[in-house]
Amino acid sequence: MFALQLALSGLAQGAIYALVALSMCVVYRGTTVVNFGHGDLVMAGAFVVYLLVVLAGLPFYASAALAVVLLVVLGVAIEIGLIERIKAGPHVGFALMCIAFGYVLRGIARAVWGREVLPMPRVFDFPPLLIGELVLTGDAIVIFAAVGVLLVAFFALFYRSSAGRVMQAVCQSERGAALVGINVRAFHAAMWGVGAALAAIGGVLVAPITLLHPGLGASFLIKGFAAMTLGGFGSFGGAVLGGLILGVAEQLVGGYVSTKLIDITAYLVIILVLALRPNGLFGRAIAEKV
Amino acid sequence: MKFYLLPLAALAIPLFANPYTQFIVNLMLVYVLVAVGFNLVLGNLGQLAFANTALFGIGAYTAAMLMAHAGWPFWVVIVPAGFAGAAAGFLASVTALRGIRVYYLAIVTLAFGEVLRWSYIHGERLTGGTDGLAVPRADFFGIALDTETARFYVFLLIVTVLVKAVSNLLRSKIGRAIVAIRDNELATASLAIPTGRYIVLAFTLSGFVVGIAGSMFAVLIGRVLPESFGLIELILHFAMVLVGGFGSLFGSVLGAVALTGLPELFRRFPGMYEMFFGGLLIVFLLVQPRGLAALAARWWPALRERYYRER
Repeated sequence: MFALQLALSGLAQGAIYALVALSMCVVYRGTTVVNFGHGDLVMAGAFVVYLLVVLAGLPFYASAALAVVLLVVLGVAIEIGLIERIKAGPHVGFALMCIAFGYVLRGIARAVWGREVLPMPRVFDFPPLLIGELVLTGDAIVIFAAVGVLLVAFFALFYRSSAGRVMQAVCQSERGAALVGINVRAFHAAMWGVGAALAAIGGVLVAPITLLHPGLGASFLIKGFAAMTLGGFGSFGGAVLGGLILGVAEQLVGGYVSTKLIDITAYLVIILVLALRPNGLFGRAIAEKV
Repeated sequence: MKFYLLPLAALAIPLFANPYTQFIVNLMLVYVLVAVGFNLVLGNLGQLAFANTALFGIGAYTAAMLMAHAGWPFWVVIVPAGFAGAAAGFLASVTALRGIRVYYLAIVTLAFGEVLRWSYIHGERLTGGTDGLAVPRADFFGIALDTETARFYVFLLIVTVLVKAVSNLLRSKIGRAIVAIRDNELATASLAIPTGRYIVLAFTLSGFVVGIAGSMFAVLIGRVLPESFGLIELILHFAMVLVGGFGSLFGSVLGAVALTGLPELFRRFPGMYEMFFGGLLIVFLLVQPRGLAALAARWWPALRERYYRER
């Protein structure tokens, strides 16, 4: 029973990791840039919601919508203003650019927030759900519902709609897509927008349930990477599954081994998976092109 | 001979410096090694890596623990600090032998570095946990390193020897193989150069240099803390290499000298540090991606790196 309860709370945590990992995957698959500043986008989403709810006094759902819109604009601006301009350079360049804007966001948050750790007032005030002896908290219900709806919408859009087929085409070959008249630049900007929006939703969901601080982004970045690595880098379904597995693994390690280890479970997962099964649990090896 | 002009000129610095500026100059010397070591991986090998603060930290902790717990003198602990850094560099990159490259390898180094930092926090008995570990008074072959001036001469000697060693290394077969891997790994492999092994070797050598820098840092600051080797420190290392110039030894020196004193200025303004260094990276990536060294080489062509192709 104890294990099941741990797994259940792990799944709720894992749903957020899944969302973050999926949003990183969108940027990676869509533009081949691994966004090392992605965690800070999650942090920025949470931060904006906090500002709007606590300081401006807006209702939670309106603030959440505003935060997502703002982050989409930010994501598109980063792609057009920063990443696109250094496209010709080596991969170290993009990665450093992502790290750099991540630090700028963190610095802005710290300048406004200072060193304090801020709790946000509770938003999801639902009574906990009892399934037999298992307890599902109100927060967890909201997270499951929100992430579930988003995942269904995302996968339906990507695999079933005509816009999704355009996305798949560019993911497979940028050059080929450009040849058949797809605007690849606009597509890249859109992918950054979608990635930032998903990151913002992740931030909005965690804001009411964790203590907020400007360094929040770094831990989400790592969890996202660990989930992506588990699922095979770049696989959407794999990222989601990886996130869920990571969430459960953290809780089980915390419950049965030591709570100290929760912090580094994600790191150990990354190291072990890449050392033992470099293509992830569900990934396939990709031949190198000459 | 040209190489020694700069350290020879630097010998005169203590004549003009007060103890505080001398401390900053000493810190610059530490960061020259940090930047030179990091540049081996970032600039010459062209591989993104996040483990540099971890390598710096393990050097500092190895030195501090051997001095505090075993009572070894500073001039002895430099060597194990370098080897500990090298071992950490090896472990951080060893998955390269299994074909892990580029972003994947970068993420492994990030995870490895954070696991190491976690172990400093939770290894209280050896490392002092979050309170850190005080470093006893250092001496160098019997000379007490209790003034900034004394530390300066010893540090200058260590830095000069190591930078010269790296300079020679880069001109050797190993150095050329490392640069060749950056420019085209597949072509390099087709010349029967075992690229995976050279990647691990570059990380190991980088770890050795940065580990020694860590031991100097421990002696200079007098206390090692886990938070000194976290993500905040990492952006400084990235900025030094980028601002100085990827793949340029002279650039690493320039970058370290230019940026070492800055974090001190931002201490009183929360968030300024991250905004400044993040902004600095963005500006250099957009405007001057080859760093200050490329600007300097435009005026003084002798500074151009011999085995570095402009891209």
